[in-house]
Amino acid sequence: MPASDAKFNLAIGFLTVIEFPEQGLFGGYLILNRLSRPLEFHCTTPIKPTRAQQILYGPTLQPYLYGEQIGRTLATSAKTRPVAVLTDREPALALREFIDVPVVLVPGQSSPAGGEDTDSRYRIDAAHVNPHRLAAFQLGPHRLMVPAESATDREAVVAALGEIADSFDFREPFERIREAIEEARRGG
Amino acid sequence: MDQPLGPTFVQEVLGRANGLCGSESSAGSISVGNWFPHPGPSVFTENLALPVALFPTGWNRAVTRQPDIKVMRQEPKGESPCVVRVLIRAPRIRVRSFVFPDPVAKLGSLQSSEGSSTPPPLGLAKPTTRTRLKPPADVIKLADRLHYVLQPSLETLLATESLNFPCAPFAYQWEGVAFLYPRQIAILADEMGLGKTMQAITALRLLLHTGEVQRVLLVCPKPLVANWQREFHVWAPEIPLLVIEGDQARRRWQWELPDVPVKLANYELLPRDREILEGAQGPGTDFDLVILDESQRIKNRLSATSQAAQALRRHRVWAMTGTPIENSPDDLVGIFDFLMPGYLSPSMAPRRMARAVGDFVLRRTKDQVLTDLPPKLFRDAELELTPAQRETYKLAEDEGVLRLTELGDSVTIQHVFELVLRLKQICNFDPVTGESSKLERLQADLEEVAASGRKALVFSQWVDTLERLRDRLQPFGPLEFHGRIPPRQREAVLREFREDPDRRVLLISYGAGGVGLNLQFASYVFLFDRWWNPAIEDQAINRAHRIGSSGPVTVTRFLVVDTIEERIDRILQEKRELFDTVFSCGVNTRPKFGLTQEQIFSLFELKCPGAAVPQADPRSAAA
Repeated sequence: MPASDAKFNLAIGFLTVIEFPEQGLFGGYLILNRLSRPLEFHCTTPIKPTRAQQILYGPTLQPYLYGEQIGRTLATSAKTRPVAVLTDREPALALREFIDVPVVLVPGQSSPAGGEDTDSRYRIDAAHVNPHRLAAFQLGPHRLMVPAESATDREAVVAALGEIADSFDFREPFERIREAIEEARRGG
Repeated sequence: MDQPLGPTFVQEVLGRANGLCGSESSAGSISVGNWFPHPGPSVFTENLALPVALFPTGWNRAVTRQPDIKVMRQEPKGESPCVVRVLIRAPRIRVRSFVFPDPVAKLGSLQSSEGSSTPPPLGLAKPTTRTRLKPPADVIKLADRLHYVLQPSLETLLATESLNFPCAPFAYQWEGVAFLYPRQIAILADEMGLGKTMQAITALRLLLHTGEVQRVLLVCPKPLVANWQREFHVWAPEIPLLVIEGDQARRRWQWELPDVPVKLANYELLPRDREILEGAQGPGTDFDLVILDESQRIKNRLSATSQAAQALRRHRVWAMTGTPIENSPDDLVGIFDFLMPGYLSPSMAPRRMARAVGDFVLRRTKDQVLTDLPPKLFRDAELELTPAQRETYKLAEDEGVLRLTELGDSVTIQHVFELVLRLKQICNFDPVTGESSKLERLQADLEEVAASGRKALVFSQWVDTLERLRDRLQPFGPLEFHGRIPPRQREAVLREFREDPDRRVLLISYGAGGVGLNLQFASYVFLFDRWWNPAIEDQAINRAHRIGSSGPVTVTRFLVVDTIEERIDRILQEKRELFDTVFSCGVNTRPKFGLTQEQIFSLFELKCPGAAVPQADPRSAAA
C-alpha cells in the first residue's frame, strides 16, 4: 500500500471501560477513520470480578480485567487494524502485552499526572497505586503516555498521528463510546 | 498339700516360669548354685519323686493363655486443616460488534459532479461548538441507533467535508440541523425568523455530501422561489439547484433529469405536473428527500395540492412551517397525512396528538432561543371610525343583518362572510368619501418613521386597500409587494426598498409577503387590517423581527373599536390558546376551536340555522 493510501486509510482505536455498580464492567472499542467517522464498534457484555478474584489478584486485578480480558477480547474482535489504540483508562495499558500496536493513555483530568518522561516518582507514605512507570510525551496539543517498557511506541505514535494531532480531539471519542454503551445497555 | 516344698518343687515352678519367658531351661536338672547368689557348701541333688498334686487354682490356664492385647485409637484433639480449592476462571466475555460502511467511500456523486476526486485533506478544522446527533425515537434497531450515536459532532462532520458557512450558525440552529439530519420524518416548526431555511439547507447539504441522499425535491410557495435560490447561494453554494419552470415540455424534461441533486418547484406546479410525476419511470422523479416549505399549504387533505404532494415518490419527508396549526388540529393531521399517512386522525384529543407528534416536531420560539434578539414592541392602536365611516358602517351593518334575518333558514355562512368583509372594508376606508381614521393614524406614524430615518412595512389583506394607500402615502415613497406585482419584478422591488433611503414604506399583502421574506432592516410593522388568523399575522410581523434585526421592532395593530374588528379579535385570542395546548403540554385549558359556524353567526348576534358544517375557514370565503 502506498504511503499516501496508508494515511488516507488511517484508523485509530479508542478503548474504554465503564463500571456500573449493578452490572459490572462494560468495555467499548471504537475504531475511527482520520475524519473521526466510525468504522467499527465493539462492546462487551458486563463482567464482574468475584470476591476471590479481588483478593487474589490484588492490585493486578484492574490491568487483568481491563487489558488482558476486556481489551484483548475487543481488539481481537475488530477487523480493522488501527495504527494505535488510545485509552482513557490507565489499567487498559496492559493490553499492550497482547497486541502489536501501540497502546496510548490519553489522561483525563482525574488521571494521575505521573510519568514525567521516564522519571519515576515514589511514594513514601503509602503503597504505590501505580506500579507501572509511564512515559509521557507531547503530540500537538495532547499529552499522551505509554508504558515505560514500551517507550519506543512513542515514535510510532508520533509518526502515525502527528499529522492530525492538531485538529483531532483525542478525548471526544470516549464520550461517544460511553453514550453507545449506555444505548446498548438500555437496549439490552 | 501339707508336704514341704523342696528345691525340685522350686525348680519346677521356676522352670515353668522361665518357659513362659521363652528362655532355655532343663526340666530335669537345675543348678541351684546359680539360683543363690552366695555359694554355700556342696549340695547334692536327689529326686525325691514327691507326688505333686495339682490343684485347680486357675493359675495354669492363666499362665498359658495368650495375652489379650488391645489397640486403642486416640483421635487428636482440635480441627484438622482443610483444603479449599478456589478456581480462578477467566471471565466469559461476549462481544457485540457493529461495522459501519466506510464513510469516505460514500462521499458520493456530489464531489464527482464538481470534478473533484481528491480526498478531503488530513486533519480537521477544530470546531468551537459540539452538537451531537441523537437517534430518533422511531429508530429501533440498535445498530441503526449506534450509527447516529457514534457519529462525530455536526461541526466536525461539516468541517471534515470542508463545508464552510458565511457566518457561524447559532447553537439552536445546530440543534435544528441535528434534529433534521437523522430523521426520515420531521416537522421543523420554529417560529418565523429563526432560520428554518438555513437549517434545512445545511441538513440536506450534509446528507448530500455524505451520500445519504442523492435527489432532493424542495417545494415552496411561488413567491418564495427566488428567496430559496438566494439562500442556497449563501448557505450551500456548491450544490447545483434546478428550478422547475417553463412550459410543460420543458418541465417534463426538467423533472426527468436524473442527476440533479436539488430540484425546486412551487406548489402550484404539483397538481399541474402530477401526471408527469406519476408517469415518469426514471430516477428523476424518485426522491430521496422531499422538503415542503410552508407546509400548511397541504393542510387540506382533499385539496389538489395535497393530493399531488401525497403522490410524490419519496423516502424522507420534512415539512417546514411556522404555523403547523392555523385553525384547528386538523391542520396538523393534514400535514401528517403527507408525512406519515394515517398516523394522526382528526378525532384525536389535542393532548394525545401532542404526545404522538412529540418526536417528529421541533418548535422553538424567539423567546426561548434568541435572548439577544431586539424586543418586539406591540402597540395596539384602538381607533374610532370617522363620522362618515361610522354612518356608512352603521347603515351597512343594519341593512346586512336585516337581510340575513330575512333569509331565515336559507342563510348560509357565505352570506355572513360577505357582510363581514364589507364591514371590514368600511373600517379601512369609507367607500363614499374615502375617509379613514386608520390612514390618518398611519400617516402620522409614518412621519415619525421617516423622520427617524427608518423603514416600515404595512400589511393589508386587500390589494385595493394597498393601492389606495400607495396613492395617499406618496411622500414616503411607497413600494408594493402583492399579487398584482409580477413575480419577476418582486426581487427588484425588495432590492429597491432595501437600498433606496427614500423608499420608506413597503405595502404588502398578507398573501404575497407573509412568508419567506427577510425584511429585517424595517423597524416598524403596521397591520392596517387584521387577518383571520393570528399565525398569519405573526408571520407578517416576523418579516421584520428576525435574525439580523438591528434594533427593536415596533408593531402597530389597527383595531377599530365597536366594530366587527373588535369582535373578531376576541376569537383570535381563543385561537392562540388552542395552539398553546398542542405545542406546550403545560397548558391545562382545553382548546377552543376557532371560528366555528356558531361563532361566525354570533358576530352579528344571529342564531345559527343548524347547518351541518362544523367548522369553516373564513379565508376560503375571503379569498
